Amino acid sequence: MRVRTLIAGAAAGVLALTLTACGSSSSTSTTSTPSASASTAAVLTLQDGWAKSTDSMSADKKTMTGVFGMLKNTGSTPLTITGGSSAAGKMVQMHETVMNSSGTMQMQEAKAGFTIPAGGTFELKPGANHIMVMDLVKDLKVGDTVSIDLKTSAGVITVTAAVRAFPGGSESYNPSPSMSH
Amino acid sequence: MSSPDTTGGTARRGFLTSAAGAAGALALAGWTATAPSGASTPTGTTAGTAVGSATGTRPFRGRHQSGIIDHPQPYAAFVAFDLHPDVDKDALRRLFVVLTDDIERLMAGRGSLTDQETELAAVSADLTITVAVGARLVALAGATPPSWLAPLPAFSIDRLEERWGGGDLCLQVCASSPTTVAHAQRRLIAGLVTLASVRWVQRGFREPFEGPGRPMRNLLGQVDGTIQPAVNGPDDDLLWCGASAPAWLRDGSALVVRRIEMHLDTWDAVDRHSRENAIGRRLDTGAPVTAPAGAPAETAADLFAKDSLGFHVIDDGAHMRRAHATAPHERFLRRPYSYDDVPPPGKTSDSGLIFAAYMADPVRQFVPVQQRLAEKDLLNIWTTPVGSAVFAVLPGAAEGHLLGEALLGL
Repeated sequence: MRVRTLIAGAAAGVLALTLTACGSSSSTSTTSTPSASASTAAVLTLQDGWAKSTDSMSADKKTMTGVFGMLKNTGSTPLTITGGSSAAGKMVQMHETVMNSSGTMQMQEAKAGFTIPAGGTFELKPGANHIMVMDLVKDLKVGDTVSIDLKTSAGVITVTAAVRAFPGGSESYNPSPSMSH
Repeated sequence: MSSPDTTGGTARRGFLTSAAGAAGALALAGWTATAPSGASTPTGTTAGTAVGSATGTRPFRGRHQSGIIDHPQPYAAFVAFDLHPDVDKDALRRLFVVLTDDIERLMAGRGSLTDQETELAAVSADLTITVAVGARLVALAGATPPSWLAPLPAFSIDRLEERWGGGDLCLQVCASSPTTVAHAQRRLIAGLVTLASVRWVQRGFREPFEGPGRPMRNLLGQVDGTIQPAVNGPDDDLLWCGASAPAWLRDGSALVVRRIEMHLDTWDAVDRHSRENAIGRRLDTGAPVTAPAGAPAETAADLFAKDSLGFHVIDDGAHMRRAHATAPHERFLRRPYSYDDVPPPGKTSDSGLIFAAYMADPVRQFVPVQQRLAEKDLLNIWTTPVGSAVFAVLPGAAEGHLLGEALLGL
């Protein structure tokens, strides 16, 4: 199952790359850049990265956001993301979807982090694996960007996501992802 | 419909030549499969083909936006927005970030970033999304709207309804598939939901099988939009805002959208001969009534020809005579679509024409023609303008740049 997902992801990555080569590159706001603290050139990128805006959330839901897109490991060794930080929120976690005992799909922290195979991709999407930025300290406005410093086995790598309006991503969590609640 | 006719008139020979050239250009640009797609147009616009394809794409990046001089796709939605009251200049910047990204992705068949229906987006179907702005948006951006960016003067024939007029932003969404139009429209509206709300939507269609021998016909059965300005250079000053326009508008244009209701019940009562008299053109070929049977639509009209009783063969109130440009600048690019909505209670139809036209200056080019039609046009018996809006069409965005970048002074 996991292998199949990765293959599908890789195919999508190739497509995006082909389109870029044809001159239909996406706006620069969605490409990732290496941070100053990155130990090497960015071997991890987030393609078509986006995050749910807080201005498209109801007032009581503005505490966290999901980050989605296609993680791509251009290196020759597998890469694991174990955590991260962001100026936008107090906490960054990797989340996965699991089925709970009542048969409902629920989000929970992926304690082992995300591992992206060498030369492979790892898809982040609503209702599946994604990155959460929690305890937001500022509004994320549609059309702005949010940067995240990902703690990885290859050092800290900064990725950027475009903030967009999105009504989804309000799934139930187990346990509640925000420690302060 | 409210369309200038540029054929005929022996008094203006130079103008006639230009009109004939325009007709030829249209045939080359739009209605043949051998159109030089992009080869001679460094502007980034291409001719397009008459019959669309499921995965056909038109360029987003370029000097001008697509969806103007390229061949009209058969399905369209004109979507006008009101900016939310709290939108400031920074919110406008964010709006154009989202629009630029969404449009580039959708036109490439990729779906917007948040798109969960990428299978729908993959049918790009020659999709074009053309962005135009109203005076309020221009002012919010800190720029000065051109003098023509305002409601058209009131015409005596107008019965304008608020629900079909105005707007801060207008997106013309066109494709060869109605599903593609619906999906793009949905994604664009949803993407802007925190910044702007829908003011009106006008959905239209043309004959999907338009092509040689099958011209655009409106729902009166009339061949529409036959003669056009040349789109390959000679008439560029009629199509595009030039050096005299502010930098943010240069290589942009103006879009006039007028909703023309047709009264099909009373039109049904009119025989074909009387219809041709009202239009001044033959219904079968679209050629002027002074042209011999079988002559092509673009045949020059003889506005001076008289019958045995001394009356003009082309009626003094015929639509084509009244719409006929009396000066070379009274021409503009028409890109009309028919509409056919649900008949209101007690009526048998809610049909008409979404008259969409592109030009450098509506007040100079369009208003004199519309004024003549308002004063006298037999077609006014069966048509009523119920909506009117004017927008400034932004220039195209070069690679790595945003739509509206110059407007925002970024």
